[in-house]
Amino acid sequence: MTPETTHLVIDALPAGYSSKPAGEPDRAAIVFTIDGAEVTAPEGLMLVDAAKYGGVEIPVFCYEPKLGAPVGACRMCLVEIEGIPKLQTACSTPVRDGMSVVTKSPRVIEAQNSVVEFILANHPLDCPVCDKGGECPLQDISYGWGRGKSRFTEPKRHFEKPVALSPSIAIDRERCILCYRCVRFSQEVSEDYQLVLLERGADAHVGTFDGTEYIAPFSGNIIELCPVGALTSRAYRFQARPWDIEQGGSVCAMCPGQCNVTYTVRDEKVMRVLQRDNHAVDDGWLCDRGRFAYQAWESEARITQPLVRQGDKLLPARWDYALDVAASALKKAGARSAALAGGGTTNEEGWLLRRLLIEGLGSRNIDSRRGGKLSADVARTLTEPDVTLSIPDVEWADAILVLATELVDEMPILDLRVRKAVNHRGAKLAVATARPSSLDSKAQITARFAPKAVDAFAQALLRSISGEDLGDLPTRAGADGEEIAAIAELLKGAERPAILWGEKVLYYAGGAAPAMTVANIVDKLGVKNTAGAGHLQIPVQANGRGLREIGFLPNLGPALTEEGDGKSSDEIAAALGDQINALILMGVDPMVDYPNGAEWDDALAKAGTVISFSTWLDGTAERHADVIFPLEVGPEKEGTLTHPDGRLQRLRQTVERAGEVNAGWWAIAQLAERVGLDLGVKVVHQITAQIADGVPIYAGITPEEIGGTGVRWQERAAAGNRPAPSRTTFDLPEPQAAAQPNGSLRLGTFRSLWGGGDVEHAATLAPLVSRTRVELSPADGERLGVNTGDEVTLNTESGEVTAIVALRDSIPTGSAFLLDSRDDGVRRAVAGSPALVEVVK
Amino acid sequence: MSYSDELLFDNIDEPNLKSIEVYEQRGGYDELKRVLRELPPETVLNELQASGLRGRGGAGFAMGTKAGFLPKGDMDKYLCCNADESEPGTFKDRELMQKNPHQLIEGMIIASFAAGINKAFIYIRGEYEDQADVLEAAAKEAYDKGYLGENILGSGFGVSLVVHRGAGAYICGEETALLDSLEGKRGNPRLKPPFPANAGLFQGPTLINNVETLSNVAHITKMGGAKYAEIGTEKSTGTKLVSISGCVQKPGNYEIELGTPSRELLFDLAGGPLPGREFKAWFPGGSSSPVLTPAEFDLPYDFDSIAAAGSMLGSGAIIMIDDSVSMVDVALRTAKFYKHESCGKCTPCREGTSWTVKMLQRVEDGLATPMDLDIIESVCDQIMGNCLCVLGDAMAMPVSSMVKKFRPEFEAHIEAARLKRTPLDEATLADELNLAEMATSA
Repeated sequence: MTPETTHLVIDALPAGYSSKPAGEPDRAAIVFTIDGAEVTAPEGLMLVDAAKYGGVEIPVFCYEPKLGAPVGACRMCLVEIEGIPKLQTACSTPVRDGMSVVTKSPRVIEAQNSVVEFILANHPLDCPVCDKGGECPLQDISYGWGRGKSRFTEPKRHFEKPVALSPSIAIDRERCILCYRCVRFSQEVSEDYQLVLLERGADAHVGTFDGTEYIAPFSGNIIELCPVGALTSRAYRFQARPWDIEQGGSVCAMCPGQCNVTYTVRDEKVMRVLQRDNHAVDDGWLCDRGRFAYQAWESEARITQPLVRQGDKLLPARWDYALDVAASALKKAGARSAALAGGGTTNEEGWLLRRLLIEGLGSRNIDSRRGGKLSADVARTLTEPDVTLSIPDVEWADAILVLATELVDEMPILDLRVRKAVNHRGAKLAVATARPSSLDSKAQITARFAPKAVDAFAQALLRSISGEDLGDLPTRAGADGEEIAAIAELLKGAERPAILWGEKVLYYAGGAAPAMTVANIVDKLGVKNTAGAGHLQIPVQANGRGLREIGFLPNLGPALTEEGDGKSSDEIAAALGDQINALILMGVDPMVDYPNGAEWDDALAKAGTVISFSTWLDGTAERHADVIFPLEVGPEKEGTLTHPDGRLQRLRQTVERAGEVNAGWWAIAQLAERVGLDLGVKVVHQITAQIADGVPIYAGITPEEIGGTGVRWQERAAAGNRPAPSRTTFDLPEPQAAAQPNGSLRLGTFRSLWGGGDVEHAATLAPLVSRTRVELSPADGERLGVNTGDEVTLNTESGEVTAIVALRDSIPTGSAFLLDSRDDGVRRAVAGSPALVEVVK
Repeated sequence: MSYSDELLFDNIDEPNLKSIEVYEQRGGYDELKRVLRELPPETVLNELQASGLRGRGGAGFAMGTKAGFLPKGDMDKYLCCNADESEPGTFKDRELMQKNPHQLIEGMIIASFAAGINKAFIYIRGEYEDQADVLEAAAKEAYDKGYLGENILGSGFGVSLVVHRGAGAYICGEETALLDSLEGKRGNPRLKPPFPANAGLFQGPTLINNVETLSNVAHITKMGGAKYAEIGTEKSTGTKLVSISGCVQKPGNYEIELGTPSRELLFDLAGGPLPGREFKAWFPGGSSSPVLTPAEFDLPYDFDSIAAAGSMLGSGAIIMIDDSVSMVDVALRTAKFYKHESCGKCTPCREGTSWTVKMLQRVEDGLATPMDLDIIESVCDQIMGNCLCVLGDAMAMPVSSMVKKFRPEFEAHIEAARLKRTPLDEATLADELNLAEMATSA
């Protein structure tokens, strides 16, 4: 029974695993016997998983491969293995060729019965009032593998119940079966190190070390990991029973991570959000924003009907009226109209809006990004399949550079993937950012540069990789030349280097220089023909990549073909009220989303008609919009998004739209009709079909093909339709030198995961929204005589703002980092990207 | 005893043997010097293997074989001396460390040399404060003399030694929990494999041995493995320190040759039962060993004979029980200890020990029926062999053996205790049993 070693084509590939990442090793096929049947399975799988290849289910509680190495704690998976006297845990025993396993002998059944009896001994049988009842692994396993009765007649263990573990999570320690999953998640996956096991033996229970709340970006995952009703969502508690609800799969569009989600729906309302494991996208995790922000969708503050400005008031209006007002303004403006799209705007919405502007109004003034126009060559180079990474590629890279992005705030789910790469795949990590990163502790090399000096830093790195003299670049970058050299060595020495960089830098830099430098670095590393090596751009907007690729750019059309010469977003701002008389904002609020929000505030005040698709009455909508159309929220939406790695994903409508809300694409089609353009769409799939016709790289794609787990366009034949860049390396402009502090501090800004309407209006997330805060080094704190919690005034050349001080050891002396939010004072103070700030007590 | 010389306890009561001066006057560290000067590490390892020395901490695994499992190579390798002596009834390591710490340290250095180890630790239980002080002082002396540290005595071989105090948990005597604790984590046992020899402390190759085991090392190299193997029986070589406690006239530590008839230890060395009393039962190897009866007094005291009788030699701690003691008390006290010390990581141990205590408490209080004794036995059976580490077995084995071998006494106790309960007690019965809860959990 020693078959030839073959390379298996595994039938049951993990969801979304359309192709295996280059770095992932092949597994040979082996043959083993389980309950008398010969079964072929990939070598090295744990028996629990290998058994599935033979259709055998082995019950587990603590086993969860996503949490890393098995712990063998619950003992539910005991099996008999020929040649080993004691029963073995199938969760921790790798399958080997020729192994013979029995899962149904009297001895194994006795052990399974016993473990169920032991677990139930202290588990309260309050299933009728437990949220988990009906979808509870403990219930299922008790029925499937239990004795059906207990001999335990003693008093059960008691704890106060339930207690709040955090604003979002309740813990019932009586129900806990101590499987460790939540603790392991906190300690080994999200690495926030907050959850621990307290006490020991039968008194052991889960909690935080000193009883403080469990606040962490990914805390909600422990609710889903819990195999019993011990960890429950406080927002979902007692809201529904499993037999009251329906589940609908879709994609979260709150950030570029585009995690796959399942919406739990009852009576046309989203009751909770669950992960929908897609290895190629999210690995089965969600951030707390994606998980809990759904509460905001039911909030009173949400705009659910059209509003039209009359005098200085925004008044509710019928759709017809609002559409008429907007359409007549657009018609009047004609070619002097413009549109910006962003956020979770779908490819379909973007496509119709683009057609409305170009075909209906004769305007090419459309943009979905900031920082000027990208040349066709730069834009194409940055999306060339040969040098861009998929998410699983990141996991299997052997060296990762995180450049100028804080993943946990900008694409949270990727933070976990980088940790996985380091912890489980042996990747070496370098972090190069201005502000200290949450990934620093995982990094072999951390490099700091001065705020806004990413350009000089990246060029220094390029020179170091090329073996050229760095000159004064490190000084200009405010960085350490040795750290730069170390990163260069790391990347050069790697077989599959991966560079993750934030598009954000282009927003701030006001040019494409950092992107061109990344392109040059990738070229210099010579990894064009190495599968699984290259870079991944973290877009600012959730569907930033899709909007670019369908041609929502002033100078580029579908598939980044050269087309037109419209105004970029910055040029639009400058032209408002003068050459631009009507502006449509689709899912984007430049006052909030762009770093030059205050300038937009001033520009919008001069604008003619501002038509805004909005969820919340704030920012531009509140201050400048003349017509507001209510925006659909995630589960109300149908359409497609393009993931930062090129994966097209489907949004599925799972609930009725709230109030008077209509589909965004429908409203655009109505506007088009009113300006005399028939877009020819009655249902959203017609737009998808138009995109499949009109965007060469998406040619022929259908919703069915995209399916539940998405498809990367680079892996389809139509990828060959892409226009090649005429060059893939670029002449770089001389980088600016970082400002010299001279007594004041260099000013950097950052965004937090805990911000925006979705967070502010969600009951259990609202407490996490931070006040305006400025982070300083302890040395600067001492020099200025300020401490954590003190209120200070920040003066920049643009304005002043009050902030609370947070001293952080890892902040470089001489720099200050201000939490960037839509707070007016902050927007004013950071207008024009001032280099320096004065901190006054 | 046919072998009358003491090895480990030789001169044990000499004043100030714990100081390096006195130890050296007695020839201490001469063997280390000789080994480093004359023997290659492989030879030392061979001697240890030839000696047949079996681990003295409880499991009885051959020490030399275990040391041979460590991979060759240039990586950091670790030796952890398990000084977490916490098995009830065991107090031999305490005397060894307190009175002759250098014997242990010399043994550790030679063992490290044999296995290519460069970092050594003594993990000592938190309650052994005095002994930890002694060890720390001794380690300092050994460093000062150049027996520890880099390039020992110019041999090119070096090993460091750290004395680490535990915080007081029985489970940290389990070798993998010890490693976690030493790493600064919660002391929970790890899943094996990987075994410590491959991935132990800080995931490096690690040899873990008991104080007594390591204290033997210098004696073995000095007399030669083959010579050492002549002491004791074929498969239980050498001498053994036995801690005898409980209902005997002369409790204490005794060094005996393995294979000595048990009766000789209990009656000649320990002086037999207290006046007017008779032995009823005995733990031959710590409180986790299944109890034996007087019918087994003629067993030779060695690993295999005791195992053949259904118990184990364990750490060599004999606890004697006489006819004044209730077996129910012994069972309950034993179960309570392990329930209290269960780490809570795996289900059968965590729930099983706590359930057993609750049932035994009812037996003790006269609130049980003989049927409960069946459940106790069954629960113990379900714990044995099904746990992550052996702590669960450590309760299940003795408790189960007591219920099996002394069932009539348990049944009589139940009846007597039930009769002793007054009608008032009966009135509180419902409360104690929490009948309401019984109804929901049935």
